[in-house]
Amino acid sequence: MDETVAEFIKRTILKIPMNELTTILKAWDFLSENQLQTVNFRQRKESVVQHLIHLCEEKRASLNDAALLDIIYTQFHQHQKVWDVFQMSKGPGEDVDLFDMKQFKNSFKKILQRALKNVTVSFRETEENAIWIRIAWGTQYTKPNQYKPTYVVYYPQTPYAFKSSSTLRRNTPLLGQALTIASKHHQIVKMDLRSRYLDSLKAIVFKQYNQTFETHNSTTPLQERSLGLDINMDSRIIHENKVEKERVQRITQETFGDYSQPQLEFAQYKLETKFKSDLNGSILAEREEPLRCLIKFSSPHLLEALKSLAPAGIADAPLSPLLTCIPNKRKNYFKIRDK
Amino acid sequence: ALPCFCTAGSQSTPGPVGFVLKTWLAGILAPGLGVLAHLERLETQVSRSRKQSEELQSLQAQEGALGTKIHKLRHLRDELRAALWHRRGNVKACIANVEPNRTVEVNEEEALEEKLENVKAVLQAYHFTGLSGKLTSRGVCVCINTAFEGNLLDSYFVDLVIQKPLRIHHHSVPVFIPLEEIAAKYLQTNIQHFLFSLCEYLNAYSGRKYQADRLQSDFAALLTGPLQRNPLCNLLSFTYKLDPGGQSFLFCARLLYKDLTATLPTDVTVTCQGGEALSTSWEEQRASHETLFCTKPLHQVFASFARREKLDESGLLIDCFHCTGNTSAK
Repeated sequence: MDETVAEFIKRTILKIPMNELTTILKAWDFLSENQLQTVNFRQRKESVVQHLIHLCEEKRASLNDAALLDIIYTQFHQHQKVWDVFQMSKGPGEDVDLFDMKQFKNSFKKILQRALKNVTVSFRETEENAIWIRIAWGTQYTKPNQYKPTYVVYYPQTPYAFKSSSTLRRNTPLLGQALTIASKHHQIVKMDLRSRYLDSLKAIVFKQYNQTFETHNSTTPLQERSLGLDINMDSRIIHENKVEKERVQRITQETFGDYSQPQLEFAQYKLETKFKSDLNGSILAEREEPLRCLIKFSSPHLLEALKSLAPAGIADAPLSPLLTCIPNKRKNYFKIRDK
Repeated sequence: ALPCFCTAGSQSTPGPVGFVLKTWLAGILAPGLGVLAHLERLETQVSRSRKQSEELQSLQAQEGALGTKIHKLRHLRDELRAALWHRRGNVKACIANVEPNRTVEVNEEEALEEKLENVKAVLQAYHFTGLSGKLTSRGVCVCINTAFEGNLLDSYFVDLVIQKPLRIHHHSVPVFIPLEEIAAKYLQTNIQHFLFSLCEYLNAYSGRKYQADRLQSDFAALLTGPLQRNPLCNLLSFTYKLDPGGQSFLFCARLLYKDLTATLPTDVTVTCQGGEALSTSWEEQRASHETLFCTKPLHQVFASFARREKLDESGLLIDCFHCTGNTSAK
């Protein structure tokens, strides 16, 4: 086994937390059950890692096996990366998409290898009809850097792919090209949507953030919701603004629904608008050029935070459509100009 | 002697004057005092008794009046009692009359329940039409129930918001169904067309998926490798043999479904592994397989392969019987 491969596997395994180690190794399915049973996982981590490397050497792990382990680690730790969303389009009158996995993989690899010579491409298919692609970039003269790979999650027979944002931006056009051609599309465009949470991005892009639907079989009417106030608690307590609170709850429920919101960390608004003022003769009002400013809303869970603004009394209901349109428009980057 | 008697008629000369007169007279007529006193006593006695009798009379009169009053009240009481009984009797009669009304009410209740059950059953049956929906607060939630060859398959939902423009809020349609394309074409102009088109795509997808699943589960013995498929199940690639145990040729099949609204392939290629020139019988078989795959659902084709094998086996058996001359084998 190559030293670089050994080092690569070692560093990957060192990243894995001890409580996930057996799960990930099983998913990797490279070391056999028997081999794994010989390892004492209660030792100090370094000893465990040493033993595992030894076993990998016995089995002659290749670079591809190591890359696969890296993919699995990333699948378990998706939110360590920030994901961008890309949308592809076909030309008019294109044939029906007869996606052939083998063809796609070969085509994708060939395009990158032709352009760069030194590149490691690995694939892993998941049960949800998605394909994870890992690309380690090199150049014509240098070997691929295994420690700064790019990941692409592509959903075959859809126009969407998710890419981990990396510092090596110069390879993005090539990657886009490879993906477009291999999947038999014409164009690829980056959407204004970005988050650490791949599942949430998927839910927003495919409009599947709520999987409950009203049917005639459902016995609980969806309109019935108890206000968080527990108004029934004591008849001696009178809520003076009950009507207003109910109105706010109703509007919030209509806008955001009852389901849990997809998870985003921020929403960014770039404004290029002229200054508007009531005062005449203000210096800024005379400016011909638009003012530029950037407004960024950050939160561990932005949409849930927005949902709770009106019920908490911090904002008026209904909220500005610029905030509530985020899942519907599938963006969290906005550019606002004067019309 | 003066004969003066104050007669009892001296009632008209009341009290003190009469008495003074009497005592004066009594004083004058001192010797006859005892008699006068006696007479006086008698007089007072008489007046007293008269008073008493008058009182008695008035009392009696009062008593009489009260008596009549009591009588009247008793009469009134009896009348009221009678009236009360009468009314109660009426009420009872009324209740007795109302009982039949109440059973009518119960019947109405039953009728309503029956209607409710009916409606529920209709709504359930609605599902079997393949396309049903329910109004929501902001639009409609459409449910598409797919089926293939009489088997009810998966259901998919599309929640529409009725606004200008009409838009899809969320849905459970698989991501590889070209929902966006269909919506772009028809949603704003002809919602019926949109729904029917979507139904077509989903039913065809369900049908293809069903065939591929059945092939994998029921005829795994005839497949010599994994079934290769894509999300839309519109490209299937597999190798198979006709004889589960034996040494027959291996066939490679590649099925393309270019029409996403169809459950049968548009292009079929069957090749024999090995690639050498085949005997005519195998060539005929290969060609017939291609036709079969084009005209029949996948799992039915394989079912017919399995049946043919059984037929061949039983054919051999018949030969055996014939050889041993067993005439009962017909």
